[in-house]
Amino acid sequence: MTSSFEPDRRRVLLGAAGAALGAALPLSGARAQELATTAEAQPDAAESDRIAAEFLGGVAPLAEGLAMELPATADNPAAVPLRVHVTEALTEDLWCEELIILAELNPLPLACRYRFSAATGAADVALRLRLIRSMEVRALARLSDGRVLEARAAVEAGVGGCGM
Amino acid sequence: MSRPPRLWISSATPAKGEIIRVRVQIQHVMESGFRLDWNGAPLERNLLTRFEARLNETLLMEWEPGASISQNPYVEFAFAARESGTLRMLWLDDRGMRLEAEREIILSPA
Repeated sequence: MTSSFEPDRRRVLLGAAGAALGAALPLSGARAQELATTAEAQPDAAESDRIAAEFLGGVAPLAEGLAMELPATADNPAAVPLRVHVTEALTEDLWCEELIILAELNPLPLACRYRFSAATGAADVALRLRLIRSMEVRALARLSDGRVLEARAAVEAGVGGCGM
Repeated sequence: MSRPPRLWISSATPAKGEIIRVRVQIQHVMESGFRLDWNGAPLERNLLTRFEARLNETLLMEWEPGASISQNPYVEFAFAARESGTLRMLWLDDRGMRLEAEREIILSPA
């Protein structure tokens, strides 16, 4: 039997074993993880930094003015609650143009991008992230006067992280 | 995707300028495109690609989510109620799903 045939055969066997167990939880542990996903964590924050640099466009970010609420430990890495908001009052003359959230070590670090308008009058958002492992989460917000605010926080993901 | 979004707003009759908070959640698989089926074939990516919220025609917020967003995406945002009108929300995904929700906002007299 050729080696290229091997994985298929293994999967068939595992599938059969799963069926025998009632197919509710055919696999457990690392083996299931390996079969279930091709997602890999970033080795470092380089890709995240590249996206951040693109967003900054040469402007130095300010460490104040953007608040981030993130639990220190995430018991469910598939849904980690995160809130980010600009703390100063926003008016019709000063607003947040764009806000990005980076999950530094996720396969695709750019989690999402928000855009607001002068009509919004606030920059306060919350969402749920899924994290592949423990990492730092970073947010950058560009205001209409050109300032860029930055906030970051570390989160410890529970068992093994989310397989994406 | 047949279920309507779950929607909560802090006030439907705010004072002028009051900050209104909106929380809304839809059912969506948020298939990342990284997962494999039992035959080892990748499952086709199906992520939410866009969410937007408008008050009448004015854009309040637009959101471009990615693979790092949880299933059944939860969106919370705030805006200043400067006029009465219809708060309209729209979701789009990779497979062409289109979901809408709206809520009337009426400024209460000062």
